[in-house]
Amino acid sequence: MRTIAIACITLLTLISCGSNEPKPIKINTDSCDFCKMTIANGKFGAELITKKGRYYKFDDLSCMVQFAKSNTVVPYQSFFVNDYLKDNTLIPAETAHFIKGGKINSPMRGNLAAFSSAKEQTEFGKKLEAQTTTWSEVYNAYK
Amino acid sequence: MKNLVYIFFFFSLFSNAKTITVGKTYAVKTIKQALALANDGDTIVVTKGIYKEGNILINKKIAFLGKNYPTLDGQNKFEVLSVAADSVLVKGFKIINSGYAALDDPCGIKVYDRSFVRIENNFLDNNFFGIYLQNCKNSIVKNNTIKAYGKQEQLIGNGIHCWKSEQLQIIGNRISGHRDGIYFEFVTQSVIWRNISNHNIRYGLHFMFSNDDSYITNVFKGNGAGVAVMFTKNVKMFNNYFEENWGDSAYGLLLKEIADSYIFNNHFARNTSGIYMEGTSRIKVEKNVFEANGWGMKIQASCMENEIVNNNYVGNTFDISTNGSLVLNTFNSNYWDKYEGYDLNKDGIGDVPYHPLSLFAVLTENNPSAMILFRSFMITLLDKSEKVLPSITPDNFVDKTPLMKSLPL
Repeated sequence: MRTIAIACITLLTLISCGSNEPKPIKINTDSCDFCKMTIANGKFGAELITKKGRYYKFDDLSCMVQFAKSNTVVPYQSFFVNDYLKDNTLIPAETAHFIKGGKINSPMRGNLAAFSSAKEQTEFGKKLEAQTTTWSEVYNAYK
Repeated sequence: MKNLVYIFFFFSLFSNAKTITVGKTYAVKTIKQALALANDGDTIVVTKGIYKEGNILINKKIAFLGKNYPTLDGQNKFEVLSVAADSVLVKGFKIINSGYAALDDPCGIKVYDRSFVRIENNFLDNNFFGIYLQNCKNSIVKNNTIKAYGKQEQLIGNGIHCWKSEQLQIIGNRISGHRDGIYFEFVTQSVIWRNISNHNIRYGLHFMFSNDDSYITNVFKGNGAGVAVMFTKNVKMFNNYFEENWGDSAYGLLLKEIADSYIFNNHFARNTSGIYMEGTSRIKVEKNVFEANGWGMKIQASCMENEIVNNNYVGNTFDISTNGSLVLNTFNSNYWDKYEGYDLNKDGIGDVPYHPLSLFAVLTENNPSAMILFRSFMITLLDKSEKVLPSITPDNFVDKTPLMKSLPL
């Protein structure tokens, strides 16, 4: 009885999820839709949702931006990036704080890390000798 | 006898290298103490026992030897062994329990910016990264057994991780349970020979931006996603076994953005896809065996000027699949077990050309759920009629000289 109730609740929550919620990335199972590599690092993953409600997952922020730029037909709903400090947690890219370069080692050499607060951004920017950057700069860095 | 004494005396004049023995019953009780006493050229012999000394840093040119496999335990907190000197030999240790998942990637053994380092005959068990060579030259990693217990949905490092290095030799290691068995990034002029890399979470072997390397006679079996060679030029792949890599995004060998390479005499058996190619050019695929795969080869339309010659295709569900109609690759003199032609002049070459791309392979590439109709009557009929009158499959996707008998490979 209890399991059925739990099952019902999970089902309801799943149904009630809007299309603007990111789907969690399954580490070591999902593969990047741009570079085909299996996503193995929950610090650098990214995800985008199109207006049609399709999900694309990436192992590196640079893969997502390059993928987004390669397609001009389907409009995008939203972008998500992994929080560098929380393992495999997706946060909206527009409000995230980025650092680039330095000692960051991302799977596809995009070398971008995202944080949910500006304080963490400056702290880890110093620690990893990286420069701070913004989402619009990141997005426009690739053609 | 007298001469021998003289010779010994003669040598001892020049080299005053000493051997320090570490152990419970010896004067030197800890490895750190021995390292402090040692000079360049000395030998440290560690006898059997369990040593929990945190991070051990070797910064002198020494031979660091284990007798009867002494255990160095990182207690899940430390990087166990750090090498920061040239010409160090590390041999015969059991290295266990490195730190886990910290931001600085703790390792069993890590070598920092050095040359002529040899790491031989060690057992590495339950480390985050196994052996990590950073910015190294002319170094050898030989006959180590590297084991970890990575699970799905979990962060774990690579077995042998090489970064920005050149002239490395990775020989005879056994690796399992790591993220990637062997990982090369910006590594050039190196060889990977006779390793066994099985049951790793992601790739058995992973190349990124690593030119002019070769890997010869290795076994890659049952890895999460097979082997990946990406963004690389001039790689030679000889005599390897790619087996039992099953899954939606698993490939025996994944080639992406790679050029001028040579794939010779490998065995691709029981994979979801034997080889997946994307953006590859000027590659020669010669004398390989593709056996019992879902797809023998998947060649994306972005590939060009590849030559596929003298291979055996036996018992694959689909021999070849592609996602476009443009064909810029050549197929010559392969053996296809699905070939139904004849050979009237008995020269061993089929008299009618063979079209390796079946209609159904094209259909499922564009519409994967059509797979449910596989081997149905209609599909078989369509496939036959397509063979007679090609309409959907590109008619220049052809082997004009298919072999009647399989090659003895």
